[in-house]
Amino acid sequence: MTDPATKQRVWDLPTRLFHWLLVALIGFSWWSAENSKTDWHIWSGIAVLTLLVFRLLWGFFGSSTARFASFLRGPGAVRDYLRDPDGWRSPGHTPLGGLSVLALLGLTAIQVALGLVSVDEDGLNEGPLAGLVSIDTADAARELHEAAFNILLAFIILHVAAILYYRLFKRKRLVGPMITGRADFDPEAEPMRPAKLWTALLCLAAAIAFARWILAGAPPFGG
Amino acid sequence: MNKALFAATAAIALLGACKEQPAAADNLHADHNAVAENASAPAAAPVGKEEAAKIMHERHEGMEKIGKATKALGREMKNDAPDLAVVRTSAATIAELAPKTSNWFPAGTGPDVGKTDAKAEIWQKPEDFAAKTKDFQAAAAAFNDAAKGDDVAVIKARFGDLGKSCKACHDGYRKKDD
Repeated sequence: MTDPATKQRVWDLPTRLFHWLLVALIGFSWWSAENSKTDWHIWSGIAVLTLLVFRLLWGFFGSSTARFASFLRGPGAVRDYLRDPDGWRSPGHTPLGGLSVLALLGLTAIQVALGLVSVDEDGLNEGPLAGLVSIDTADAARELHEAAFNILLAFIILHVAAILYYRLFKRKRLVGPMITGRADFDPEAEPMRPAKLWTALLCLAAAIAFARWILAGAPPFGG
Repeated sequence: MNKALFAATAAIALLGACKEQPAAADNLHADHNAVAENASAPAAAPVGKEEAAKIMHERHEGMEKIGKATKALGREMKNDAPDLAVVRTSAATIAELAPKTSNWFPAGTGPDVGKTDAKAEIWQKPEDFAAKTKDFQAAAAAFNDAAKGDDVAVIKARFGDLGKSCKACHDGYRKKDD
């Protein structure tokens, strides 16, 4: 196998765990909805909410490659990257990859937000914040929630296609690093600056606290 | 270029396949609407087009009314002290509509005739469907009775039973809401 000495760290453990848990939960959310396991579906959505809040916090307090500031650089950076892809020397997401993170996180957040205020067709299950809106609004939210998934799915397909494109055409392995956290050593790339474990635990605790507040109906607004 | 095209197509096909409707198989059963009902059901001749449209419309509106009442009830049941006025009105609505459901599914009102969420299975398994209809009617009546009283615990319990009876039928006999 490859000599570990030629590998450098690029993705920290919290980021990797977040990524793959999200994949599993989105898959489970889809399956549970298709099979009318609405109570499981709602729990799955709450778990996604927790992950998203964690990721948001980690984007400010996490390792250098997880921070939004490191890969969200504005349209100028995207343009420069497209003109000269090899000129981008930082580890982690390129400016284009950064846009895809924004799109996928944003669409997932919209999916969760709509679900929180939805009621199912029979009125037997509803999201924890559905009490904040009228029945008609909750019904409409459910229909939007179902339609919006198609947009999210399209971007997921695009994401997978991009990973394949990198592998087949640019001979760049991206799945391995997202599992092991290590990529081939690039002497010109600045090293990733990892964050502390307790920072991750604090972010997780905050995310869980937020999810619990939502589950309670977001008092004092509801519940 | 070909490698990318193949890979992208494969990815899209694989992910697209996941979204495929399980109800696609229902079209295979389109010829079954003229099958004789079981002995305990009324005359098996399918209704004419005009009558079918009328019944299907009434069925749809009726189910929506039941759904709206259920949604209002669901909200009240979350409270420790539900608004009994809302509970009683909604319970009465459901109890009034429940008996009518026995007349909402004559032969000739299935998915082959028009746009409906009713699945062909209803007319393929008439005994099971009739049994579940009876369960629903019993649950609706029991809930309406409980709602007339003041015991919130019993009201909540009977509402739970009612919800189960809705799901029991819908799981097998209603198209997935897509």
